Amino acid sequence: MKPAAFDLARPASLAEACALLATSGDNARAIAGGQSLGPMLNLRLATPALLVPLAPLAELAGAQETATAITLGASVTHAAIADGLVPDLPPGGILAGIAAHIAYRAVRNRGTIGGSLCHADPAADWPCTLSALGAVALTSDATGKQRDIPLDDFLLGAYRTALRPGEILYAVRIPKPGAGARFGYHKSCRKPGEFAHAMAAVLDDPGRGIRRIAIGATGGRLLRAATADAALAALASCGLDLVAQQMQRAALRQALQRAGLA
Amino acid sequence: MSARMVPLALRVNGAPVEAMVEPRQHLADFLREQRALTGTHLGCEHGVCGACTVLLDEVPVRGCITLAALCDGHAVCSIEGLAEDAIMQRLRAAFSAEHALQCGYCTPGMLITARDIVLRLPQADEARIRLELAGNLCRCTGYAGIVRAIARVLAEAPAIARAPAPPTPPAPLSPPLPPPVLRLDGPPITLRVPLAAPRAAVWAALQDPALIAACVPGASLTEATPERIAGNLRLALGPIEARFAGSASLAYDAARWSGRIRGEGQDGGSGSRLAAEAVFGVEADGAEASVVTLAITYALRGALAQFGKRRLIDLLAAEIGAEIGRNLEARLRGAAPETTARLGAGGLALRLLRRWLRGLFKAG
Repeated sequence: MKPAAFDLARPASLAEACALLATSGDNARAIAGGQSLGPMLNLRLATPALLVPLAPLAELAGAQETATAITLGASVTHAAIADGLVPDLPPGGILAGIAAHIAYRAVRNRGTIGGSLCHADPAADWPCTLSALGAVALTSDATGKQRDIPLDDFLLGAYRTALRPGEILYAVRIPKPGAGARFGYHKSCRKPGEFAHAMAAVLDDPGRGIRRIAIGATGGRLLRAATADAALAALASCGLDLVAQQMQRAALRQALQRAGLA
Repeated sequence: MSARMVPLALRVNGAPVEAMVEPRQHLADFLREQRALTGTHLGCEHGVCGACTVLLDEVPVRGCITLAALCDGHAVCSIEGLAEDAIMQRLRAAFSAEHALQCGYCTPGMLITARDIVLRLPQADEARIRLELAGNLCRCTGYAGIVRAIARVLAEAPAIARAPAPPTPPAPLSPPLPPPVLRLDGPPITLRVPLAAPRAAVWAALQDPALIAACVPGASLTEATPERIAGNLRLALGPIEARFAGSASLAYDAARWSGRIRGEGQDGGSGSRLAAEAVFGVEADGAEASVVTLAITYALRGALAQFGKRRLIDLLAAEIGAEIGRNLEARLRGAAPETTARLGAGGLALRLLRRWLRGLFKAG
């Protein structure tokens, strides 16, 4: 239960971290809070030769709010979001409500929103909820080239993202729902804080003409749909066994109710 | 693998400490092994049990999944550093009075989480206390005493409860027993791989283990006889990387154009074990084409099984089967297969994505 040996880089800037990751290829991994990578290192499921710490980088810290969106630095922790230390989405602090139920407080104090998105665990909270909220991943590479990647394109499947070698997610931009919008999220865990066995997030935003449903914890890619019927159809055909499908339907129903759609 | 020791300067229980650490050493091991602060306990060592909970910059963190080297410049406080802490003194008395511990293994982590509850959630009721304790496992007490102890401190000492300093604002085990025999479970993964080659040619190719191995991305053979093969299989998925070493037996039934491969392997890094059986057959599809059918059952145990959910493995198996088919086809045409260095590399993600989308559209 001890990690295999690795070296530790000390990048002083985002550009330096990108360059380290670009030149080290598959042998290097970025680490932010390390709350997902840490267990994999201890279990020796991940055996990188080099870790590139991102949490201390100034470019990944902080938060911004505009009239239409909030942007959270990739190293903002779940606890900071849960405690309202960063701007949140109306109505009623959507992000704080999600963050407060991620894993446990001791994990939330270290784990970051950017790390969660890049780890792309199919049962994690942020990929599913931020996808329903229409968030955009902001990335930068060693040459300073930046990309704005909608999460639907960023999240390719279990543990897979659209990040290229040497590319780092430095922030996530989340559009503000319009007036009258409702958001519902439900996940089913055997015990609070455990990985979910089913999860669904629903955004109903009539002001902007948007209705999005995201279903996570499928083992693979998020399921996306615009209507409950389409979500149910996607669930029926995505290869989950009947028990898992039923759990997902129950989670979807809860999320739809919370969004005022059922 | 050469890992350099790195310098570390931090505060431990209020005192400045300088040390050299291996980058891989986690904070709990640093405290226990280098500072002899053995009050911090290690249970699961992958972030689940909470026994190793310590304070980093005043807030609780998991000592086992926090690298010591990343605490450079920060302040760590273990259970020993809270001996004189006013809340901890009350908690210790309450834990004794309420029988909130039995074996005591979880207690240091439990106390640090309890202190966080008292400081951060002065209004917490029983349900909230229980929710907050979800990340600290106690296998003796059933939690009743722990919950009462925390409630007692919250009730008797509301004055000392205060909001803690906010976290730095975001301004800018090897198995003790021999492993059990793996039982193959779950419904088989069935694949049909169409090949643009006649049945007889495909069947002949399937008799050559070396040729088959060359078509499996990430596979290398160390031994090949008509009945048995041994070798290695490298698999990568996101941060996960496994290198299975193992062997398989082969049986052919020429009359039925079918056969069976049964193998088992172990990933030395994670100790994960994989056993699988594939029943294969070759069907003719006209004179110039054929279809290889596969029914694969498998069992995965150990660390990898925690992340390798059934659905994920089914998708991967289908993709890998198709890739083997493409490589086999190329071999039969006399071309070198486009093997990648390991499974999961290259365009696998994109193909999985397309496959998923196709599945969705079929449903619609």
